[in-house]
Amino acid sequence: MLLDAVFVLLILTNLILLGSSLLSASIRIVAVQGAVLGVLPFLAMAPDRLGRVLFLAVLTVALKGGVFPWLLNRALREVHVRREVAPLVGYSVSLALGIGLLALAFWLGGRIRDIGLGVSVLSLSTALFMMFTGLFLVISRQKALSQVLGFLVLENGIYAFGLLVVVNIHWLIELGVLLDVFVAVFIMGVAIDQISRAFDHMDVDQMNHLKG
Amino acid sequence: MSAGMEFGLVLGVPLIGAALSILLRPPRLVLGVLAAIIGVEILCAGALIWPIVAGVQAQVAWSWFYLDALSAYHLAVMMIIFGLSTVFAGGYFGEEIRRKEIQDWPVRKFAALWCGSLAAMVLVVISNNLGVMWIGIEATTLMTAFLICVHRTRASLEAMWKYLLMCSVGVACAFMGTLLVVASARGIEAGAVHVLLWTQLRDAAPGLNQPVLKLAFIFLLIGYGTKAGLAPMHNWLPDAHSQAPAPVSGMFSGFLLNTALYCIMRYTAILEVATGGSGWSLQILQVFGMLSIGVAAVFILFQEDVKRLLAYHSVEHLGIMALGLGLGGLGAFAALFHVFNHSICKALAFFSAGRMGQIYGTHEMDRMQGMLRVNPVWGLGLLGSLLALIGMAPFALFMSEFQIAMAAMNRSAYVALIVFLAGTGIIFVGALKHAIAMAWGEPKIPVRASAAGWTDILIVAGSLGVLLAVGIWMPECYRNLLWRAAAIAEGKP
Repeated sequence: MLLDAVFVLLILTNLILLGSSLLSASIRIVAVQGAVLGVLPFLAMAPDRLGRVLFLAVLTVALKGGVFPWLLNRALREVHVRREVAPLVGYSVSLALGIGLLALAFWLGGRIRDIGLGVSVLSLSTALFMMFTGLFLVISRQKALSQVLGFLVLENGIYAFGLLVVVNIHWLIELGVLLDVFVAVFIMGVAIDQISRAFDHMDVDQMNHLKG
Repeated sequence: MSAGMEFGLVLGVPLIGAALSILLRPPRLVLGVLAAIIGVEILCAGALIWPIVAGVQAQVAWSWFYLDALSAYHLAVMMIIFGLSTVFAGGYFGEEIRRKEIQDWPVRKFAALWCGSLAAMVLVVISNNLGVMWIGIEATTLMTAFLICVHRTRASLEAMWKYLLMCSVGVACAFMGTLLVVASARGIEAGAVHVLLWTQLRDAAPGLNQPVLKLAFIFLLIGYGTKAGLAPMHNWLPDAHSQAPAPVSGMFSGFLLNTALYCIMRYTAILEVATGGSGWSLQILQVFGMLSIGVAAVFILFQEDVKRLLAYHSVEHLGIMALGLGLGGLGAFAALFHVFNHSICKALAFFSAGRMGQIYGTHEMDRMQGMLRVNPVWGLGLLGSLLALIGMAPFALFMSEFQIAMAAMNRSAYVALIVFLAGTGIIFVGALKHAIAMAWGEPKIPVRASAAGWTDILIVAGSLGVLLAVGIWMPECYRNLLWRAAAIAEGKP
């Protein structure tokens, strides 16, 4: 039951994110999502591996809930932008499309479960919905920072999927993946800073010198 | 020396190099140390590769590190490309230091990231663990992102952002695929540690859940295909290749793309064993190959910038490799042969274009004319490599492309054959026109004179010489290695 509630919470964070224009609020939502994901292993784990789960959970919450938002907030302060002003797709349309993506995720979740993954449709669909939302944000948002948030949501979705479907991955691998994502966010933060210095903004749509 | 120690060295040496590059200050010293580090690295890798060439099946250490014919071949190509590019980088940045166009810090940053990306690529090729392989690929993206904007301009920052974001998202898809591969092994009781080991997955492949595995392959192909520059996920490639400094473009095109294609080969092997050699995964790979050739043909016709032209050639040639692999048998053999040919040729092409760009002060082909007169060495390098790239005989690229066409004929894959011949035909005509104008045209702008040093002559003559020699005569041990590697990629015992 608790597990289902967590999934519903995750779905809600995605929907809020799709409709939010304030960048600082978006960062906060993604942080909440990351922290919730960190708790997920406790609910889905086998009881004999408490030490490992604890270690990874603490690390996940610290990174996704603490360090990433801090890095992104710092980038945000440097560039003096508060809102995603003109996204390719408006907020209410984004929300409506989000509902559509959710339906698609549930349909696909049901289909994929049938080929034998052995998890509940709700959990599978939640992970898929997070991935879709992430991809959608990367494609449709114009601010570099919003694209990073999209990437993080996509990553969260894959992380959730991994937690549910795959229980026996070596901890070194999980650690390496977390490290990679951490470095990615760090580098993207530095890149946003450099871009905003060179262009006086971080709108990706104005980065259109390279064509063909 | 034990294999374990060699694996450790081949990973550790570049990391030491990265640390040294940060610690040392004078840029010329940094470039010298970099060359020495790469030299040591090549020796260490050689010690690992040699037994495989001599006939040993595989080198294994702690079951996480694994080198067989397929990975040994890729490691060898990587070392050759890094060796060439490092020597060239010495001259390229040396020229910029002389002209005071570059400060100390960018040179040190370049050297550190260069070593870092080498370590990441080595990790991809020598790891038996598919999770570690993924970590390595993501690490190459992160390490190379800032190599694109060593010269920080608006255009290079734009290219870097596009590369960073597209490849991160793409490679995230590949991680999803990796997880699905693990999921497909549910029920097969492997120990917790071994579930991602390629050797064990291949042996257990007939028992894997096929639908899940096929779904995984789609994610993996899209994910790693983004990094390999296969159309339609190639959008980042022309920007990154054209904006990066020439040694970096050479390395990107010469090996970074192949690292990702190598990962795909590891998975086609598992898929082929799992589906009993049905060719399902190979057919999908063929489609992506044909798409890439087609897209490249269209864009090459309208290129004005020489580095972008070369970048689209990369899309084309990666497509040719994918097509060859997809055809299997002789096609796979030729595709692997093509890996070496293309890497050497493309590295030389980017080096020449970069040096000519320094001399002319532009990369627009209209204004870069009369190269053979302005700088005979690099002019010849660019002309020779362009001719080889479009498949002129008797260069080695002609041989490998000819074999791929043969393979298509043997398989009666007529659609593939037509797409392949039409695509390369269009590219031949389109690029030849540019090559002739650049080589023999009248220089339109006053150019700075620049003499070529002996390393320049060595790079150009050596690369073109090797391409000619391998095109005409292929050593027996090389042929054997390639056939063994091709069999591994196709999942044959």
